[in-house]
Amino acid sequence: MDLNYIFAMLLVALGIYCLLLKRNLIKIIIGLAVLTDGIHLFLISIGYRLGGTAPIVSGEMFSDLPGFAAHAVDPVPQALVLTSIVINICILALALSLAIYAYRHYGTLDPSKIRRLKE
Amino acid sequence: MIPHAPILAILLPLFAAFLMPVVGILARRRGIKRAREWFAIAAVLAELVIVASMLPAVVGGQVLVYQLGGWQPPWGINLAIDGLNLLVALIVVGISALVAIYSFVYMERDTGLDQYYTLFLLILAGMMGVTLTGDIFNLYVFFEIMCISSYALVAFRRNWQSIEASIKYMIVSSLGTSFILLSVALLFGQVGSLNIGDLMQKFGGVVPSTLIVPLGLFMTGFGIKIAMVPLHMWQPDAYQAAPSAVAALFSGATTTVGIYAMVRVVYMLFGILGVGMILAGLGLVSMVLGAFMALVQRDLKRLLAYSGICQLGYILLGIGLGTTLGIQGGLFHLFNNAIYKTMLFMIAGTIIYQVGTSNMDKLGGLWNNMPVTAMAFMIGALAISGVPPMNGFASKWTIYVAGIEEGQYVFTIIALVVSALTLAYFLKAFNSIFLGQRPKHLKNVKETPISMLIPILLLAALCLVFGVLPHLGIELVRPAQEAVMNSGGYISAVLGGV
Repeated sequence: MDLNYIFAMLLVALGIYCLLLKRNLIKIIIGLAVLTDGIHLFLISIGYRLGGTAPIVSGEMFSDLPGFAAHAVDPVPQALVLTSIVINICILALALSLAIYAYRHYGTLDPSKIRRLKE
Repeated sequence: MIPHAPILAILLPLFAAFLMPVVGILARRRGIKRAREWFAIAAVLAELVIVASMLPAVVGGQVLVYQLGGWQPPWGINLAIDGLNLLVALIVVGISALVAIYSFVYMERDTGLDQYYTLFLLILAGMMGVTLTGDIFNLYVFFEIMCISSYALVAFRRNWQSIEASIKYMIVSSLGTSFILLSVALLFGQVGSLNIGDLMQKFGGVVPSTLIVPLGLFMTGFGIKIAMVPLHMWQPDAYQAAPSAVAALFSGATTTVGIYAMVRVVYMLFGILGVGMILAGLGLVSMVLGAFMALVQRDLKRLLAYSGICQLGYILLGIGLGTTLGIQGGLFHLFNNAIYKTMLFMIAGTIIYQVGTSNMDKLGGLWNNMPVTAMAFMIGALAISGVPPMNGFASKWTIYVAGIEEGQYVFTIIALVVSALTLAYFLKAFNSIFLGQRPKHLKNVKETPISMLIPILLLAALCLVFGVLPHLGIELVRPAQEAVMNSGGYISAVLGGV
């Protein structure tokens, strides 16, 4: 169980490392994906319970609601992660399309060479 | 109040955004001209009516709580509107309406206006969502909608400048929003709630030291959005490369929403940890650095971007002081800053529209060509530097007095000096654009078209009105200030049924 949190934070750290220090736009965007996936893993781990059941009440479970509540995993983090995954797809799509445009204009993906604005 | 007004205020721009491509296609088939522009303006004006209809109840001291799907607050998502929310919502809608009117002519030379107005309405939906929601994860989702639309708007013209600026902005800002998500996760893990009112109640005066990590992450995340000083690198590039109408929207509305999020989440949630002094300190740094960087700029839009960073410092300083007067001054300055900053960016846009450049070295002597625009720029420049009788003076004076009352003489002195610096670089800008020798090729530059002039003059008039009658402005921000200082009212209104 603790391993989850360690891995999540490792992913976050790796993502931040890629985002800040890599010299290729595609790698930076991959870093962004890794970073958010780390956060998603962290969120899911918060709600996870060893040997838990799905948080859906049906049939015979109505007779034993406290028992059900003691076994079911927390549904809220799962909803959050689903929403967040959708958002991150948008960001990644936009980022990749911008990277394509940048490559067309500059002929390179090296962010240190894409800097004409400062004059 | 219009029934269901809180949720309508979010849904209306969202649906209008998705209808916009349909309107564009229909207009092209039927040969109707300017259908998209009129549709966008109508949508924003309807939004203004909806937000204004909530005004009487909120000014009367009520906190409007709207439960989505009828779920009780700590479990379901709710929209909660107190004075602070409504002030920000009014600023956002007002500025958006003016920018929509301004875009009518300003954007006419661009292609792909379907996309422009879709993104415009989407960013409005995002901003309204952040402003009205009472749920911290919902706030993150709308924040992301706002951010993604703003990356696309910066890159709208798809030339090398805007692509470069947008990439820079996106990488920095995505890091910030990831931090916000991480701290929402940490908060949920620690406290087990996502409702802002519920979180405030559960903290109840004692904040466990483990929450310093989410506090720092929240501050970094929102600080990137409002371009607080150590995190401001993206802003001048983005404002320079974006179309001026977009820059006006960002500086007036989006920054206001960012500051709202900062106040609501960082200041009101973690207020007990002495966040106020940190905010005031960061405000001072932003002020000084913004002013010095603005002094050396040669591009008008970059100068305005740095002066925006500088003005942000005043707002953070006022709110960070934490006294009644300080918060009043800070919120009043937030209001004023939205007015004149939007106006100045619109003027920069008209200069680009008529002349084709905003590089101040290549401009000069435009006073004879565009006298009305020059007068408006002068009013904006005086207002932003805090010269009486403009609105900037009223709010800055309130902040100075608040600083002295708190015994922070150093803060007041630095704020005064920065104000003088502001005047210096705006006079320099005025001098090199409107006075001096006029290059020969600028002889035939005409006055700004009337439909672009209307929003500019309206904002200039507001600058004068709130300068001559400052108590009007103070009355306007009083409900917001009371809301900031009385989080108990918010908590009991949100959790009232529990």
